[in-house]
Amino acid sequence: MQQYVLHSLQQLQAHLSQSRQLYQVVDNHGDAYWQHQAQPPFPVLSQQRPLSSAKSFFFAEQETLYVFDGQFFRETIPKPEPFVLFGVQSCDLMAIHYQDIFFEQDPYYQARRQQALLVGVDCVHPCQNGFCNLVDAGPGVRDNTADLILHPLDDDRWLLIVVTEPGRAALQGLALTPATGHAQNLRSDNLTQCEHEFDDHSYILEGIEKLNRDQAPDAFWQQLAIQCIACSGCTTLCPTCSCYGTQNQAVLQDAPDKPPSQARQVRFWDSCLYEGFQREASLHHPAEQAGERVKRFWYHKFSDDFLPEFGRYGCVGCGRCEQTCPGVIGVHSVMKRIEKDA
Amino acid sequence: MHSLTPTAVRLIDFYDDGEHARHFTFRLLNTASQTTEVQGDWMKAKTGQFFMLCLPSVGEAPFTFTQLPDQHGNFRALVRKIGRVTSALFELEAGQILGAKGPYGKGWPMDQVCNKRVLVVGGGCGLAPLVGVVNQLIEQKTYTQLMVVYGARNRQAKMLRPERSDWQRHIPVFNMIENGDTEPGENESGGTPVDILPTVLGQFDESPDVVLLAGPQAMMFAVAKYLVASGVTEQSIYLSIERRMHCGVRTCGHCYLKDKYVCSDGPTFRWDDLKRYIPAGS
Ligand SMILES: Cc1cc2nc3c(=O)[nH]c(=O)nc-3n(C[C@H](O)[C@H](O)[C@H](O)COP(=O)(O)OP(=O)(O)OC[C@H]3O[C@@H](n4cnc5c(N)ncnc54)[C@H](O)[C@@H]3O)c2cc1C
Ligand code: SF4
Ligand code: SF4
Ligand code: FES
Repeated sequence: MQQYVLHSLQQLQAHLSQSRQLYQVVDNHGDAYWQHQAQPPFPVLSQQRPLSSAKSFFFAEQETLYVFDGQFFRETIPKPEPFVLFGVQSCDLMAIHYQDIFFEQDPYYQARRQQALLVGVDCVHPCQNGFCNLVDAGPGVRDNTADLILHPLDDDRWLLIVVTEPGRAALQGLALTPATGHAQNLRSDNLTQCEHEFDDHSYILEGIEKLNRDQAPDAFWQQLAIQCIACSGCTTLCPTCSCYGTQNQAVLQDAPDKPPSQARQVRFWDSCLYEGFQREASLHHPAEQAGERVKRFWYHKFSDDFLPEFGRYGCVGCGRCEQTCPGVIGVHSVMKRIEKDA
Repeated sequence: MHSLTPTAVRLIDFYDDGEHARHFTFRLLNTASQTTEVQGDWMKAKTGQFFMLCLPSVGEAPFTFTQLPDQHGNFRALVRKIGRVTSALFELEAGQILGAKGPYGKGWPMDQVCNKRVLVVGGGCGLAPLVGVVNQLIEQKTYTQLMVVYGARNRQAKMLRPERSDWQRHIPVFNMIENGDTEPGENESGGTPVDILPTVLGQFDESPDVVLLAGPQAMMFAVAKYLVASGVTEQSIYLSIERRMHCGVRTCGHCYLKDKYVCSDGPTFRWDDLKRYIPAGS
């Protein structure tokens, strides 16, 4: 891996934005959001975890899957311009990696994903509610999740690590100074220091263990689920949630008495916390009780059963579910209760 | 890469088959309009697999084949009118162009079924996924013993009448009418499939080698439990499970069973496996 010292982030941003659309997280009155950045001056890298992850760049919140013209069905695979996500934190990069595996065979996801360059940024302080260190997702960017990695050094300088071939190619034409061993050591010191700064979240590990031993009885989940108002905040913000629904719609009606001559199918983010998510046409409902649905959500995030497929848990420790849940059943609250009550 | 786009099919014809149920024939049309890869190979479809039927501007729903695609691309399904897609389907006339995706899922384990003592139990519309198996075994005479139990709620709910009376000329078929309203001359008894199991098991030379079940989950589970209590091994019982489906290719998430997906890990499961995915009592 080549490593360089960057004296100006602006220089890198300007260079990358010449050949791609550049997106970056921007602070906005206490919250942080992904935004398109068209030209210099480019914003400084936010220290904040964005409210929404990068999920929607690849798995669209709503999109057309095919259209029907009366004779034929035609797929509508997107053809996005090349783009760069600049400064993705390690938990969100791990979530993209997870979704890459899940959507490996999905042409709509992959059409976007193949146009993306991922520039990761190490976190040097824990974020609120974050526990990436417990679930192998951070605070340092993992080598298999980004094309380029940035690490803040002193005096506005950055360590730039080239991980992939597309990452290397994207830097062509940029005059770069090779990094010294000192800069590299600083990175590992900073990351170790950051790991020490995390609060004690051992109840999460104990919760995971109890969950996998199936020690939380159905009654426990049922009790917990009383607080779920099925708002879908958790599943919308969770960077690894990927369930979707589909709907077929008429697009064009030639005449009131004729059937529509054009139709389309759209898919949209769905939530396993919704009551109707599994209800069948026969009215049989395999997850009728809210507790069964809440249980399944946490099982999907933390069950060992998914390890063979993904090599990791479905949770990357971003803490967004805790931040958003109006019923206080985000990851910290749930794990504390499993550890205590179950 | 999966294709999520249907192949055009034509509705060829249909006939009524029991209350609110019709048997439909579809024909695959030229798939040249497909822009990326095709879906699965329709000609390699297996009995017990399913397809997603798409009514443009209405919706999509999964159905099992009662007849796999033949060399002309014709295939059949028995459909019960129950909601939006199926009601719209019942309004259509022959000649209409629809869409189909598939074939999806795992079919029945035919290598475990042929040349064995086979018991088939279907409830209501759930006999549909089993029609192909029974037809194949009878046509190819590849069974040692074969018996069919069919359960219906009442006289009106009976389906697949032509198939069942045809089978009856070759093998024992036990028709169970839950409300007891049996018809004379139809080889029917009052009760559920479970009620007739002692008689059926008594007619097998030895305990059946394979049991295939499809129908309402509660019925299948009751039958499976009874059979296991009667000495049939869990490993020889297979069930076809229904779940709500939107994609058929394990990405939408709707059809989950613990960490499995019915659309791709099923819809047919072995009873000992399935018991691990579905909590006791459901
Ligand atoms: C593998 C498989 C094979 C099958 N094979 C057959 C077969 O061979 N023959 C057959 O007749 N059936 C078969 N089925 C069942 C069939 O797929 C359903 O009956 C079919 O989906 C009905 O579709 P529908 O649009 O008419 O009903 P829907 O309109 O989808 O069903 C109505 C009911 O579904 C629920 N529902 C629908 N949409 C929503 C929503 N957005 N929110 C909440 N609830 C909702 C509600 O409970 C509603 O009352 C099979 C199912 C599976 C999974
Ligand atoms: S479960 Fe919660 S903490 Fe884990 S990845 Fe999803 S939103 Fe983040
Ligand atoms: S955010 Fe909380 S209340 Fe909303 S669906 Fe998720 S668990 Fe339920
Ligand atoms: S139907 Fe979508 S995951 Fe099975």
